[in-house]
Amino acid sequence: MAAANNVPTGVDKEQIFGMAEKEMEYRVELFNKLTNTCFNKCVEKKYKESELNMGENSCIDRCVSKYWQVNSLIGQLLGSGRPPM
Amino acid sequence: MASNSASETSSNDSSALKEPEKPQSQTLRLPTAEEIQGQEIWNNCAVRSVFSGVVGGGFGIFMGLLLGAMDNPIMQDQMTGKQQFIHTAKQMGQRSWHSAKAFAVMGLVFSAAECVVEKARAKHDTTNTVIAGCVTGGTMSARGGPKAACAGCAGFAAFSVVIEKILESHS
Repeated sequence: MAAANNVPTGVDKEQIFGMAEKEMEYRVELFNKLTNTCFNKCVEKKYKESELNMGENSCIDRCVSKYWQVNSLIGQLLGSGRPPM
Repeated sequence: MASNSASETSSNDSSALKEPEKPQSQTLRLPTAEEIQGQEIWNNCAVRSVFSGVVGGGFGIFMGLLLGAMDNPIMQDQMTGKQQFIHTAKQMGQRSWHSAKAFAVMGLVFSAAECVVEKARAKHDTTNTVIAGCVTGGTMSARGGPKAACAGCAGFAAFSVVIEKILESHS
């Protein structure tokens, strides 16, 4: 495997680049959705001060951890190829 | 100064085609680990409550000095001026120590309660202030029995809400 990886052909390189691009797009979209969801959920629309207060901090912590857990769980379920529940 | 501004305007006119100079947009700078740690220290409930307790103690010292100074106009002919001064100073000291303790405990309990409640609810409301005020008032007047505790709870909660509204409207 290592020997094959050392001399990639032109098609393999493109494939690898394509996959890396897709992965990057997926990650960026995940991050953007995560920040939008948790921002809309946790931060009040009326801005009273510039810093995050403690309630918002703990809300964001919880929101991000839940989102990440659910996301990875769903990814595992979809990736394992089992029939949907 | 004048020559600098003249050279700036001439270069602006030549490069920007008479557009107003746009400010340079800076790349997003994420906070470093030390900055995050520094902010996280302030989010810690224990640190916040200790800090509030210290501030309350300072305020109590000040209030005690004030009230102790105004308290006893000792007009005894038997004590000389110096003895009057020492007596008044002792009075002020006692008063300020007593009131410093009271205010420090009040500040500590209020801040700790508000911090814990806000972290648990994950919301920034006036409900946090009400609950923290009730807890503080209740513990401070717990010696008088349950009725006094209820009265202290309600009273201190109302007081802290008023103070919060005043602070909000000012800053």
